[in-house]
Amino acid sequence: MWAASFVVQLALCGILIIFGHFRRLPFFTAYVCLNLFQALFLYLIYQYYGGYSQVAFLAGWWSEAITLLARLFATVEILRLVLISYRGIWGLAWRLLAVTSVVTLICVTVASWGDARQALMRADRGYHLIFTAALISCLALIRYYFIRVDNAYKGLLIGFCFYSCIKILLNTVLYTFLYQQHSPYASVWQVLALSPYLIVLIFWGAVLLHPLPSMQAQQAVLPASVYGRISPQINLQLQAINKQLMNFWKIEGPQP
Amino acid sequence: MNYSVAVFASVALLLLLAMGWLALSGVRRRPHFARNECPELECLHISHLRQIKQALANTDFMYLKDQGYPSLAKRIRKERRRIAFSYLACLRAEFENLLSLARMIAVMSPNVAVAQEVQGLRLNLEFMYRYYLIYFRLVSGVAPLEAIGELGNLVSGLTIRMETAMSELGERAVLGIEILPHNGGGLDAGG
Repeated sequence: MWAASFVVQLALCGILIIFGHFRRLPFFTAYVCLNLFQALFLYLIYQYYGGYSQVAFLAGWWSEAITLLARLFATVEILRLVLISYRGIWGLAWRLLAVTSVVTLICVTVASWGDARQALMRADRGYHLIFTAALISCLALIRYYFIRVDNAYKGLLIGFCFYSCIKILLNTVLYTFLYQQHSPYASVWQVLALSPYLIVLIFWGAVLLHPLPSMQAQQAVLPASVYGRISPQINLQLQAINKQLMNFWKIEGPQP
Repeated sequence: MNYSVAVFASVALLLLLAMGWLALSGVRRRPHFARNECPELECLHISHLRQIKQALANTDFMYLKDQGYPSLAKRIRKERRRIAFSYLACLRAEFENLLSLARMIAVMSPNVAVAQEVQGLRLNLEFMYRYYLIYFRLVSGVAPLEAIGELGNLVSGLTIRMETAMSELGERAVLGIEILPHNGGGLDAGG
């Protein structure tokens, strides 16, 4: 499984370079390369120090933190590419990402408070939860404004989202029901964590075999003053409608 | 421990479902407005408001009942309820068209005010909540049919304002609408 994921990651790197996607997606390319190096690095560490050594533990978690940071940058890069033509909505999306992340962070901290031995697992789970919640909020915003998302970018974002959801489930369910019973946790974890990742890598590879969409010019053709004038008017009208609807039941109905 | 597991597992599943819905749900079509075409011209139901109100009036129904035609009155009541449902559905469509126009303006603007957009979203949710409340009360037969007419008045007022707003946008808005893809939006649009 590990070898298969290494080969697929290598192939994905090749696709990114051969098709020239690394120019448009430098952070995503860096993320894939970092994952590749992480796999190689950990393989060497495990071979030299053993899989259950303190060195392996530290190397594993530190390298994971770096790749998680890279994943964050890669996602923001893709979202920026999707919304680059919509300056106003991009500004809105940035704020939404920030607010969702902070709110989820607070919730995760409250819900995970307690056992210090599980801190790393909970931090990892918390990261994926914040990441997924922010990403889905952003995707919902994009949908709300009828913004077209190219298949390539859509595929990359869905891949990130899917893998994070699986990681949350694994960190929660598998850790609780396998780790505490001293089952072969590590080997089961490897299979269950690597399989979805492998699927995502293959999916990304298939998506990136096609050319990326050309960059579009700014589609905000209206002057800022038009929005500033019309938007409050519309909201006032909507507010009036809702106020009227609140009085809806005060109107006398027909006699039966 | 179990509580925490249940919460996190449920949230993960919900997020997975949301992702699936966003990725796989049908293409959400942007209502498109042709050049020099006002939103209300696409759906003329508001212009029939007077007739709808007439059809929903209680007087005819009461008259038939008084004259001793209960079966006819019952049939008419059924017909009127059907009309009310159709009318309500159309009002919703018109309301959504107007909201979509507001979103299109936001998409085409270089700066978007968070407060305005949040307010728009909140009002939209309120409208939907009240709409479904009315809808289910109509289904259960406790809704006053005259109230539908009042709802029509509200949307009619909004349409007039939106027409004014659209004329303010002028040629630049028309250009913008033409630039934006007409083949739908949302995450499925690329597919």
